[in-house]
Amino acid sequence: MINFGIDLGTTNSSIAKFDKGRVEVFKNPIGLKESLPSVVAFRKGKIIVGEKARELLLKATDSVFGGFKRKMGTSESYYISELDEKKSPAELSSLVLKELKNFIHTGEKPTSAVITIPASFDTIQSNATKQAGQLAGFEQVVLLQEPIAASLAYANKEDDEALFKEGQWLVYDLGGGTFDVALVQIREGEMKVLDHEGDNFLGGNDFDQLMVEQLIIPYLEKVGTFNKLHTEMKSAKGRYNRLYHRLRLLAEEVKMQLSGKEEAELEFETIDDAGKEIEALLTISKSQFEALIQPQIDRTIEMSQAILDRNGIEKTALSYVLMVGGSTYIPFVRSRVGEKLEVPINTNIDPTTAVAVGAAFYAGSQRDKSKKQAEKSSEEIGLQVKTAYQKASQEEEEYFTAKFEGAWQTLSYRITRQDGGYDSGLKPLKAQISEYLPLLKDSFNLFDFHIYDILGNEVPTDVGEIGITQGRYSVAGQPLPNDICLEVDNFELGSTALELVFPKNAILPLKKTLTKHVTRTIAKGSSQRLTIHVLEGPVSALPAANQPIGYISISGTELQRDLLKGSDIEVELEMSESRDLKITAYLLMTDQEYENVFTPSERHVSVHRLLEELEMLVDKLGKEVEEAQELENYETARELLDVEQNLLELIDQVKAMSEDDVTDDKFQIEDQKRKFAIQIDSLTREKHITKVKMEYFDAKRDIEYTMQHYSPTESEERELQRMLKQEKEFLATNSRLRIKEIIDFFADLGWRIRTRDPQYLRMIFAYLASRQDEFSNPQRGGELIDQGYDAIDDEDWDRLKLHINQLSGLLPNAVRNDMFRGGTGIG
Amino acid sequence: MKDNASLEILLRIINQCYELEKKLATSPEAKSLNRNLKRIKTGFEELGLFMEVPIGESYDETRTDCEASIAGEGVENLFIREVIKPIIYQERDGIKQIVQRGVVIAEAN
Repeated sequence: MINFGIDLGTTNSSIAKFDKGRVEVFKNPIGLKESLPSVVAFRKGKIIVGEKARELLLKATDSVFGGFKRKMGTSESYYISELDEKKSPAELSSLVLKELKNFIHTGEKPTSAVITIPASFDTIQSNATKQAGQLAGFEQVVLLQEPIAASLAYANKEDDEALFKEGQWLVYDLGGGTFDVALVQIREGEMKVLDHEGDNFLGGNDFDQLMVEQLIIPYLEKVGTFNKLHTEMKSAKGRYNRLYHRLRLLAEEVKMQLSGKEEAELEFETIDDAGKEIEALLTISKSQFEALIQPQIDRTIEMSQAILDRNGIEKTALSYVLMVGGSTYIPFVRSRVGEKLEVPINTNIDPTTAVAVGAAFYAGSQRDKSKKQAEKSSEEIGLQVKTAYQKASQEEEEYFTAKFEGAWQTLSYRITRQDGGYDSGLKPLKAQISEYLPLLKDSFNLFDFHIYDILGNEVPTDVGEIGITQGRYSVAGQPLPNDICLEVDNFELGSTALELVFPKNAILPLKKTLTKHVTRTIAKGSSQRLTIHVLEGPVSALPAANQPIGYISISGTELQRDLLKGSDIEVELEMSESRDLKITAYLLMTDQEYENVFTPSERHVSVHRLLEELEMLVDKLGKEVEEAQELENYETARELLDVEQNLLELIDQVKAMSEDDVTDDKFQIEDQKRKFAIQIDSLTREKHITKVKMEYFDAKRDIEYTMQHYSPTESEERELQRMLKQEKEFLATNSRLRIKEIIDFFADLGWRIRTRDPQYLRMIFAYLASRQDEFSNPQRGGELIDQGYDAIDDEDWDRLKLHINQLSGLLPNAVRNDMFRGGTGIG
Repeated sequence: MKDNASLEILLRIINQCYELEKKLATSPEAKSLNRNLKRIKTGFEELGLFMEVPIGESYDETRTDCEASIAGEGVENLFIREVIKPIIYQERDGIKQIVQRGVVIAEAN
């Protein structure tokens, strides 16, 4: 089967493919739109088709051509000054068709296609369209009238055969620049166009222009002083020409907004003739817009009515009016046409792609009679390619050159950047070509190099992708040897933990801004401190085991006002290629900013923080020793006690130091502290990891039980599956924090699911009520229990859930977090 | 990004950030708001969305990162004079992809 359908439009074109009962409309690989403006430009030795050519359409009239479909089959030709030759409308159309072939991402190179034509096309015009197809490499071209194509798109969507056995309807096609209406009839399974009308110069673009001319210009003339504003806007030489273009774009946006809202705002600034700055804020209502376009819409209705009158068709004999073309998205167009014609409006198909979709459906039923030609490789064609370019660059663009030997004479080439930001346009191949390829800053830039034959078919080469690194990825960029982490409070563990800022092997320079919050209130004038501590070393390690590389310590005495718990701190960390670290901290609440730059050759140790860390380690050790003794692990307990003794000695030394100590002592103590921390870590690490993993499997069992015995939603099930898929990876991290996070996730999810069950809520409530003696506020607890019983009586489960939450807050473990003091003060 | 719909919403918010940025540039008294704006932009960058404002850059038909309206008479030596919508890139695995082409007005020098 042919399978490929093409809507070769006056303003826009598109291509679709039928495959196993479905149709895919292909997207432009550049910009990802489903349509391609039917505009062709010839500039600087290359051919540009589509969006970029359309931009030039009104400017470079001797080299840019659009609307040539209207001239199809006439003797008129277009003189191209760049080439000093003429091209027929069919030749220009063939360039559009060739460009559409590039949309096909499946790698197929079709040699046959269904191409749509307006109902008004006569034999000569139809043959010219066929010729265009053949010039674009389609050996077999089957033509299909546009209204039939749109009707087929609807027929295949509805899949209702009865609907299409007998009947007639109108196809109302209002696009960006043209209008067509056709009467389509089906008798004994044969669909045909009985009559048609149209206006080649009426469409949605006119509505934008009307809005500018009739609403915005009068508004400007009222609020500012302008002389001949209309002319100054529309003339290319006019002083307000740029404003005109801006307003056209804004008007288009307003038009789209008014499809869903009652009014839309249009906001812009300009300066009037008297030099006064005008800040325009204009509200355009739906009714204003509708009044504006009504005469145009009524004209389309008159044309539709004329068809019915001419053919003596009663309105009641029509099944519906099928709406096609982007402008039929406008609700007023739909309602006005329906009201005036008194025929039901059919908006069941996507109006922008209907013609291409219908063409593809038709193509799916047409036999492919073309002789499929095997794809010829560059070697078979007799083409050898050699390329040369720098793979790394600090420049904004890089020189690329390629040499060709063999049969290159009729071929063309094109280079595109994979992010979608660059397209060289189609250029004729020469024995040697060169291009300056623009590069995205600090990125790995990938370019595709394509060669095409005269029919627009791609010739495979072994060139492959062109990869050029710009900036940070260049040879000068070095990878980080270790993780860079920020130390933050972790109340769960009752200590501090590390948060990854830059991962190991990230390429320098690096920059990141983090927003953290203050975890304890720091009073103005107090000696309490907030510390931003940056460490180098594995994120899974204990903070004290990693190497401190920089810090900012802010004392209460420096604050302009109290820094409240929960307020935000913005921390910006920047590491240069030579690994200078710049830390900037901004306290949002006090509007104070701190900055510190550290170089790797210097070490930075805060005496205050050092003391705090040592004390925390001793505290931690006490608990570890106790646990080891409980487990009768006396050997470990003894080793830990030795470490504790050493740490206590270090504490005494630090206490004797001042914050601005200038000797090397604090560095030596810092080194020793790290060694001891690593020792504690290795003595206890295994135990902690095993413990947390056991907790994890318990939590997993719980959540699985909940999933089976309660009623999770589909999305909750998906959420869990997603997390379980990563199980292997996060268990392999051996990071207690990471595993704890997952345990918390299971607990939250389980709680969410279970608390939807009244039975469960009642059980939890009964449990809490039985622990009344332990509440921090027994009186409040009693009240809440009474209210809980009321909620049960009323069967108000949301209220019961609320009381359960309030009651659990009265239990002592809920306030445990606030007991924790020390740490960095950020979390 | 979960799906196209949420990306579209994010793009709309980024476009509003750009509008704010334009307004702040003309009101020095509102300078302190720049920090908040910067924070919002950083948030988007953490989501892998980067905004580029190509104002003042040269423009020609090979630039497919922008959709341009060409004002004035000439079509050679074009420069981007106004940016109506910024270019937005999405970065995944270190590779950038345009998710919103800039909407600009270009004019000859």
